[in-house]
Amino acid sequence: MFFQDVSRIVGALSTWWWLILCLMFLLYIALDGADLGAGIFALFSPDEEERGAIMASMAGFWDGNETWLVVAGGILFGAFPSVYGSAFNYLLIPLAFALWGIISRAIAFEFHVHAIGSKRFWGWMFAFGSVLAPFGAGVALGGALQGFPMAHHIAAEGVAGAHANAFDAVPHYAGGPFTFLSPFSIWTGFGAVIAASLAGGLYLCARFVPGDVIHERAKKWTNAFSMIALAAIVITLVWSYAIFPWAAAKWTGANWWVWLIWILVILGFAYMSMTAHAASRDFVALLWGEGVVALMWFAMWATMFPYIVPHTWGIQEASNPADSLAVFTLFMTGFVPIMILYNWYQIWVFRGRYTKKAMYAGH
Amino acid sequence: MVLENTLPVLLSRMDFAWITSMHILWTPMTIGMSWLLFILEVAWLRTGDERWYKLNRFFEKILIINFGAGVATGVTMEMAFGILYGPFSQAVGPFFGNILGFETITAFMYEAGFIGLMVFGWGKISKGMHLFATFNVGLSSSLSAMWILVANSWMQTPNGIVLKDGLFQVTNWWHAIFNDNFVWGFPHMWVATVELALFVFASVSAWFILKNRNADLFTKLLKPTLLALLIVTPVQIWLGDSVGRDVAMTQPTSLAAMEGHYHTYLPDGKVNTGWHLIAFPNAQNDGNVFAITIPHVLSLLETHTLNGKVTGMDQFPAKDRPDVWVPFYSFRVMVAIGFFLFFVALWGNWLRLRGKLNAESLRKNPWFLRAVVFSGFLPYLAIWCGWWTREIGRQPWVVFNLMRTYQGVSHMSLGQEVFWFVGYIIFELTVWSGAWYFFSRVIAKGVDNIPHSDTLFTHHNEEGSHEEEKAGGGFAKPTFASKPMLDKSR
Repeated sequence: MFFQDVSRIVGALSTWWWLILCLMFLLYIALDGADLGAGIFALFSPDEEERGAIMASMAGFWDGNETWLVVAGGILFGAFPSVYGSAFNYLLIPLAFALWGIISRAIAFEFHVHAIGSKRFWGWMFAFGSVLAPFGAGVALGGALQGFPMAHHIAAEGVAGAHANAFDAVPHYAGGPFTFLSPFSIWTGFGAVIAASLAGGLYLCARFVPGDVIHERAKKWTNAFSMIALAAIVITLVWSYAIFPWAAAKWTGANWWVWLIWILVILGFAYMSMTAHAASRDFVALLWGEGVVALMWFAMWATMFPYIVPHTWGIQEASNPADSLAVFTLFMTGFVPIMILYNWYQIWVFRGRYTKKAMYAGH
Repeated sequence: MVLENTLPVLLSRMDFAWITSMHILWTPMTIGMSWLLFILEVAWLRTGDERWYKLNRFFEKILIINFGAGVATGVTMEMAFGILYGPFSQAVGPFFGNILGFETITAFMYEAGFIGLMVFGWGKISKGMHLFATFNVGLSSSLSAMWILVANSWMQTPNGIVLKDGLFQVTNWWHAIFNDNFVWGFPHMWVATVELALFVFASVSAWFILKNRNADLFTKLLKPTLLALLIVTPVQIWLGDSVGRDVAMTQPTSLAAMEGHYHTYLPDGKVNTGWHLIAFPNAQNDGNVFAITIPHVLSLLETHTLNGKVTGMDQFPAKDRPDVWVPFYSFRVMVAIGFFLFFVALWGNWLRLRGKLNAESLRKNPWFLRAVVFSGFLPYLAIWCGWWTREIGRQPWVVFNLMRTYQGVSHMSLGQEVFWFVGYIIFELTVWSGAWYFFSRVIAKGVDNIPHSDTLFTHHNEEGSHEEEKAGGGFAKPTFASKPMLDKSR
């Protein structure tokens, strides 16, 4: 009786943290996605002044936006350490590339303004880092969707003289270095770059004054990437349907109509974003566009439920013991709205539209 | 042979040691200097003295470069436990994972949420709000240090847990968080960050006085900085001694390695009380080939008695002994730096007592200034050495006496380990060289182009013709545009 209650509590709390984890990852892709996309746009910027203006436009909040990824990682470690310790081991190579991209961007932000002779170098570090980060993260996401092999007695493998030990009771990652690599995971890498590019275009349109050079180019960029992104969504959905039985079973199962409505709502959001964009209501277009991201993200997590990593880690089996989960819930849940509040305040302080010249000169 | 020294495990240790060593170069300055900037900002607001404002804005430029480097290298850290030490992360999840989660939520994000306001918010938010932002950066970065030290100290002295089903399950949160090592280890690290930031202040000031640029301004800063160091440097030595005695009790193997102390008893049966100034451990790791030894000092240091027993390496099986070379020498370098910095603080305040701490007299005797400039680099080395002592002294355990390092290593190929290592050598060195290059640029540029604080809030009058549509529908001025405050010379 008592153990039944405990397991129900664990079930409820772990699901709660699964939801917060979903929200943190969403905040990361929605907010930093736009920053990364603006960086991808900067890859095609004609001069350092433009790259500098794009960097300056997010100088006050890029760090906060990026840190949602760290928070998501921290929650993964705090609530689902089994996933943290095995999935990250599995994704070593794509994560290393994503982290190198993040490093390049982070230092470029601080160095570009001070540089004189090396301005071009840091400009390129910013732009390339902005491509590398979503690509690596996208490959990692695709890899995670595929699931990965695990086994007991793997921890000490490869170390001559090592023997079985108490820690083998937990299953560890058992695949090779390239297990993540597949046409699908490479595609999701490109998919992430495309999605970020669209978000970045919408962000730049909202951030720069209409008529400004950056705004003009960002407008065309956004038009093009709207189409590319819609195509990418279709490709990803069809591909997932074909290779993931767990997804196919859900989408065409008894509740098929929920998914159909969901898709129609997403298309509606996309339509609203495109019309707002065409009418130069840029901030509204950005919000509708972020809505598309949110709806797609929720749909993905709902499709994976009750797994965190499909057919590898279920929410309950991956979660921490009841005691740790309870402590985590008690002390950390309250901070989630607080984090959102002060981040919102920081972004709000730096709101407004700028011109390329003003932004660059003012930085 | 100790398994932890076989190539795959050794490489994974190097992978982690490299990224950690290159990360600890940045965080101490952020932690310590954010409080110093808070004090400067309070001084400016209370006295209205423009000089405090100038100094604040000048060191803030250094802080933000440093902060960028810290974030760049820090995001990796938050992921690296799972990537490089997956089985470790899974086993320690119930406690260590929770603590890292606490850190990201209550510290990492907290800091990120206010650093933008602190650096770019001048003139956009009120003075009070800005001071609040600076305060929050100070508090959040110190909180971050606290949580990380909770996690690391627990690896040294894993209290309050039981190993069940392959997981370290918490039995007492209070004991696990305030574990034996944390009680002294955290103050030691936190004071190190303050000492480092104070010495960066002093070092930069001394350089300007030496170059006779804004010499009076920087003398004004040097005086209280040296006074603070007169308190901080001896406190740090005392804290270090306390950590050492704690390690002697809780991690005898680590202490024995730090002191190259192999034999608990001398051949004649008496307690071995000798402290080695220099030692060359032998290849079997069971004795010293050569050593310069001073009797009684080791017992004095660790037990505060003349002939107290200090457990030597010979009390532990060979497979449980850490390597001696690194802990032994890095510990000595750290201690030497600690005392040298105390001496510099004494020197400076003695000059002040004799009325010689003014720009003119200081330049007449440039050796003091040179010593202070040099001292700005030493805390970095001391912090490195301290952490190397701590981490290598704990070997061959990742969680002391409970989980061996090889048991925590991720399932990786040698190729992956090399891939990670090479990649991070390139990226971390780029971060390091870039940051230090731009530090030198900012310092060379000096304080003269920092505009008066009056310009902070006056930009509203200068323009006023911006009627463009605002994103978010709110009222916003493109303040960057007209604010000389944040012009190209930032």
